[in-house]
Amino acid sequence: MSEIKVVANILHTNEEITSKNKQLLNEKGIYVINLMSSPGSGKTSLLERVISKLKGKLSIAVIEGDLYTTKDAERIEAQGVPVVQINTGGACHLDGKMIKGALDSLNLDKVDLLVIENVGNLVCPAAFDLGEDIKITVLSTPEGNDKPLKYPRMFENSGAIILNKLDLLEFTNFDRVEFYKDINSLNAHAKIFETSCVKDQGIDELCSWLSQQIDNKRGGNVLCQE
Amino acid sequence: MHEVSIIQNVIEIVKQKAIENKLTKIKHISLRIGELSGVMSESLNFAFDSCIKGTMLEESTLGIEIVNALGECKDCNLEFPIEHFNKLCPSCNKFCTNIVRGYELYINTIEGD
Repeated sequence: MSEIKVVANILHTNEEITSKNKQLLNEKGIYVINLMSSPGSGKTSLLERVISKLKGKLSIAVIEGDLYTTKDAERIEAQGVPVVQINTGGACHLDGKMIKGALDSLNLDKVDLLVIENVGNLVCPAAFDLGEDIKITVLSTPEGNDKPLKYPRMFENSGAIILNKLDLLEFTNFDRVEFYKDINSLNAHAKIFETSCVKDQGIDELCSWLSQQIDNKRGGNVLCQE
Repeated sequence: MHEVSIIQNVIEIVKQKAIENKLTKIKHISLRIGELSGVMSESLNFAFDSCIKGTMLEESTLGIEIVNALGECKDCNLEFPIEHFNKLCPSCNKFCTNIVRGYELYINTIEGD
């Protein structure tokens, strides 16, 4: 019997493909967001608002991840930006191979901002890097302020966190003080935004911060979020 | 979280390493899993038992070593144990962003004939 020292990364296939994707996206100077949250927290609604405010100034493309249906992609398409739908057919997260396929069908030459809307799930997407510049996690007030503690990895690995559906705050028992305290213990340097798509609240702040990040990348200062 | 796909990747890597090292039967596989990775040992064991059937790993056992999470303070260079909810440097009380251990998902060794 022989023992062989392997020391092989179990997710190496994803990481190899992802690093190639990242290289391509960096060469094109595209700022990439991996947008994550549980289902129904408002990722697509936020994206609609952000696109409508930024599309005059920037060229935006979107990759939509869903288990089934093209419902979200149709909403984004209605905003007049290129969108590619990935249907995972039941898989709970996007990975590098799926992103590679989507990138192949987009014209990347004139894109400034690429948003990858991940599958709605607070668990698995956190473990799969997609070659993004930043992971952004959305939490909506009706989900409850306990979610960062219950699903720590996603909030821990995010460069920015968006607290959405602020207009519903008064109808829930969401404790904002607890939320900020928990985020601070998990990820003290995360940028936090408070938004309401219905009331158009906080979207301008989010957009101007995003524009700044995109400018920084174009200027050669690729942000390090880790 | 996605323990079945992790085990499927493990099986593929082990098969490849077995061919490279001229092994025909695998007896034991040891993994190193970081405590912050979100991967559950119980689920890995369950997935392993189901997925190895009919493969060269069929009679092998799985060992899982949990790697404790460690941070390094950027200010004072101290390395110290961290948790999801406690990443403050015990020396200077600053929040630690440099996680040096805890997200591992590695196959460490394989044993076989």
